[in-house]
Amino acid sequence: MIYAIVGLLLGLGLGAVCPLVIPLAYSKLSSVALLASLDSVFGGYRAVLEDKFENIIFISGFFVNAMLAAALVFVGDHLGIDLYYVALLAFGQRIFQNLAIIRRFFLK
Amino acid sequence: MTKIIEPLKKGHLSLALVCVALGFMITFQFRIAMDQRASLPYQRIEVLTERLVQTEKERDALADQVSRLEATIAQASTQDAVAQQTLAELRQRAGLVAMRGAGLVVTIDDSNVATKPGENQNLYVVHDDDILRVINELRAAGAEVISLNGQRLISTSEIRCAGPTLSVNNVRSAPPYEIIAIGDPKTLEAALTMRGGVADTLLLWGIKLQLRREDAVLVPPYKGVTPYRFAKAVEESQP
Repeated sequence: MIYAIVGLLLGLGLGAVCPLVIPLAYSKLSSVALLASLDSVFGGYRAVLEDKFENIIFISGFFVNAMLAAALVFVGDHLGIDLYYVALLAFGQRIFQNLAIIRRFFLK
Repeated sequence: MTKIIEPLKKGHLSLALVCVALGFMITFQFRIAMDQRASLPYQRIEVLTERLVQTEKERDALADQVSRLEATIAQASTQDAVAQQTLAELRQRAGLVAMRGAGLVVTIDDSNVATKPGENQNLYVVHDDDILRVINELRAAGAEVISLNGQRLISTSEIRCAGPTLSVNNVRSAPPYEIIAIGDPKTLEAALTMRGGVADTLLLWGIKLQLRREDAVLVPPYKGVTPYRFAKAVEESQP
């Protein structure tokens, strides 16, 4: 757990000093990618608790989910369908599901 | 505590690395949100919304004041017959009462003349100074009460161009403009149509001018509040 928190703080610090800027037009894409990454982190933690953790699945899931989510929103924008909300709802639901399982593991 | 540390031996490194990436993305997203909030259109919306709410509050307060003042007038006017008559007269002169009488109805409209290419189209449109000249002439001819497109002209009324429309008492209106003046119909008409006068000048540009003498016209009252903010009364000695 400590490593995860330290990693998070390190990431926050790196992001704060990084001069890169994403243009405003892509803000929707990056927010959905953020949510996908959050979901895969929670999913990974749940897999660790259930002893089902596999490195390859976790790392690949992290990047592929983020890319797919951003791609889905991008295509949806151009098709005129609001797939942004679809992605938000799907990832939100998964996050809550994973959180519930993690919580149940700690309380047992 | 061991429950948290033990299972992590398996995947803690990958989890930590991914958390670094996650923290990175979080700060990016945060920065985008800050940029959005600082962007000019967003701020302008906030400023304008604030100003709208404030102006609405001011308007409500002023409307309250109007009804209160009118109540005090109604109260005060029941006291003395002479004072009552003076009050009625003063209210008429202040433009707060609808007035009726013989007069002139002037209708002014934009010119229909086709402008030659290269000519300034503005010359063939009714401007505020055209209307001001007509009203000045009417006043010089003895018009007692004047209204423009339903707006009573009082001492502080402005007549001003606002783009393609005219603003009178802060109310916008579009051509054709109708001026109703109460006075001697013949004198008023003669003042406008005298040789080299206002009508001639306007007709030069093809501005459509129509005069109509009436035996009974109605001029509406002034609807608005104009408390004097800078003018203070000078003590007058009774004659």
